[in-house]
Amino acid sequence: MLSIKNLCASVDGKAILNGINLEVKADEVHAIMGPNGSGKSTLAHILSGRGGYTVSDGEVHYFGQNLLDLETEERAHKGVFLAMQYPVELPGVNNMTFLRESMNAIRKARGEAEIDAVSFMKRVRHRAKQVKLDEKLLKRSVNAGFSGGEKKRNEILQMMMLEPQLAILDETDSGLDIDALRTIADGVNLLRSPDRALIVVTHYQRLLDYIEPDFVHVLASGRIIRSGGKELALELEEKGYEWLLEGAAA
Amino acid sequence: MNACASVFQQAATEYIDRLSNCEGEWLTEQRQAATQRFAELGFPHAGLEAWRYTSIEGLLQQDFKITHRTQAFLHHEMIQQFLGEPVAARLVFVDGIYQPNLSVHTGQTGLSVGSLHAAMAAGDRSVLRGVGSLSGIGDHGFAALNMATLQDGAVIQVSTGVAIRQPIELLHMATKGLSGQVQHTRHRVVLEAGASVNLVERYLSLDSESNYFNNMVCEISLGEGASLVHQRAQEESLTAYHLCDVHLDIQGDAHYQGVNAALGGAWSRTTFHARFVGEGANCELDGLYLAGEGQLTDFHLNVDHSVAHCESRENFKGILYGAGKAVFDGLIHVREQAQKSQAHLYNANLMLSRRAEVDTKPQLVILADDVKCSHGTTVGQLDDQALFYLRSRGLDKDQAKRLLCLGFTNEIVDRFQSEYLRDHLREEIVKRMSYERQV
Ligand SMILES: Nc1ncnc2c1ncn2[C@@H]1O[C@H](COP(=O)(O)OP(=O)(O)OP(=O)(O)O)[C@@H](O)[C@H]1O
Ligand SMILES: [Mg+2]
Repeated sequence: MLSIKNLCASVDGKAILNGINLEVKADEVHAIMGPNGSGKSTLAHILSGRGGYTVSDGEVHYFGQNLLDLETEERAHKGVFLAMQYPVELPGVNNMTFLRESMNAIRKARGEAEIDAVSFMKRVRHRAKQVKLDEKLLKRSVNAGFSGGEKKRNEILQMMMLEPQLAILDETDSGLDIDALRTIADGVNLLRSPDRALIVVTHYQRLLDYIEPDFVHVLASGRIIRSGGKELALELEEKGYEWLLEGAAA
Repeated sequence: MNACASVFQQAATEYIDRLSNCEGEWLTEQRQAATQRFAELGFPHAGLEAWRYTSIEGLLQQDFKITHRTQAFLHHEMIQQFLGEPVAARLVFVDGIYQPNLSVHTGQTGLSVGSLHAAMAAGDRSVLRGVGSLSGIGDHGFAALNMATLQDGAVIQVSTGVAIRQPIELLHMATKGLSGQVQHTRHRVVLEAGASVNLVERYLSLDSESNYFNNMVCEISLGEGASLVHQRAQEESLTAYHLCDVHLDIQGDAHYQGVNAALGGAWSRTTFHARFVGEGANCELDGLYLAGEGQLTDFHLNVDHSVAHCESRENFKGILYGAGKAVFDGLIHVREQAQKSQAHLYNANLMLSRRAEVDTKPQLVILADDVKCSHGTTVGQLDDQALFYLRSRGLDKDQAKRLLCLGFTNEIVDRFQSEYLRDHLREEIVKRMSYERQV
């Protein structure tokens, strides 16, 4: 599904990604861990098409297509979704309107009919319940004045409504209480299917107890310095990154 | 006085001479005094602070004529599409002339509505005495011209303690026939003590290319404890000129909630003179403006806290695109004796193009020491992060931009009590933002 080869990227001349290689197949869950500032969000942003980064080398293919050639919205149409580490507040933009327009934009791009108002309402209510997002928040402006946890739930709600094929969750678990973590993990698991893949960026092993990864990668200084199974996350939890970083430097 | 002004002075004099007795006699003195005032003032110019950024050169070049029109005609079907929610009364003005056959009045007790022309014809002193009572004979040339050659307008009076629940609508329709002319309309609204009303003013052009000049004055008195909701939507053709001076006198414990949308006009300027004359009153004024290629839109606010314990809040937001230009001038004056005043003034501008321009000048002049006042101005662009967020959810650039623009203006649109107007304005904003993409 996704194939990243030697991806190198910089911001304002400062190298941030220094040759990332990653293969993601359908039905897989990849966890990306790594110290602060190692480039995890940068990778997520580049995959979803955010501007401001210069890709100096490497390639990214998504279903055989050059992903980096596509506009941000085209990637969304083709099923790429990023749940952001810091979801943006959109004052004045109604959450429900936003969701419906997003859904319809994606449907339209795929040549499908727009969803009618009744089915939409039904679906959004159902999904909101699944992620335990207060319905009142649907009527408010997108993320404006939402608590940290509410913003994350809202991201997951969007993901569940848009049903992406490749979902990238950037620290969706950060700032969540234990129950919320569980709810969100349950939501994500509901979406798992043989034709979907997940990339989960996290600092904590706990999330991975709920969303079981097939692979765990450690990103440091813009490189994947170690990949392993889910037991790698446990090892990291115990020992931290130090031992790996030393190993990588050597 | 320049050549253009003397042409207007001449025209005003002739206009007054030609008035039939029934239209003329009651206001002749004021009309003549106003003509004299116009002769002294001439047209406003950039040397005057209030007109520094609002050039009238383009307006004068149009060579608008003052004509004495007595007739305008529209079929009922022509206005049907512009009618929204049910009203307590609707006064329709076609090319500035009151149309009894298109208007409605449910005949509620305590509500009196009529036309200024009828009041002049009947010599209704109680109405005519009020003409100019707030505005004077004109503090700038255009206002003086309005007084000199005013022709018609609405006269609305609500008796003590009467609450009119459904809106009273003033619907102004400009036809193609108005092209090339200036028309002078003047409204007078009086709410007696404890009265409450929801007043809607709409300005529409039937012909998208008609080119005329609406030079209006509106005088509103709120009695003690009265309450006025005032919803105004200016959607003149993009080649029209629109000027409106709104004068507001607010007695103690009265409440004014005004909201404005200025979308149309090649050139449009609205001035609010709000004066608190009794304690415990409150004035809320919101506005939104859109200005694109070839448009200038201007709001001048002048809120006078002349007595203690009053509150005012103003919030105006504008979207500028193409080579659109906006002027915002908000002056809040808190006088020495106006202790315990609260005044908050905001203006935000969203610039969608490099060629767009805004001159914004919020001013608080505070002479009292025990007050709560604040003001703020922003001039910004669409947020890249917000655009990315929307696009990452599948919206293309234009859709994302439109949604953000709507979001920017929603706060103001939501101040309109009329659901019909809220929906209509959102649609218009979306349309304008779609058009913006092409230029
Ligand atoms: N727009 C930018 N301008 C300058 N530096 C940037 C920019 N974006 C990212 N960086 C830098 O790139 C590095 C990687 O940032 P990134 O956000 O990808 O880290 P991360 O691995 O997601 O960290 P965290 O775990 O704290 O979220 C950091 O040093 C960051 O300061
Ligand atoms: Mg990050």
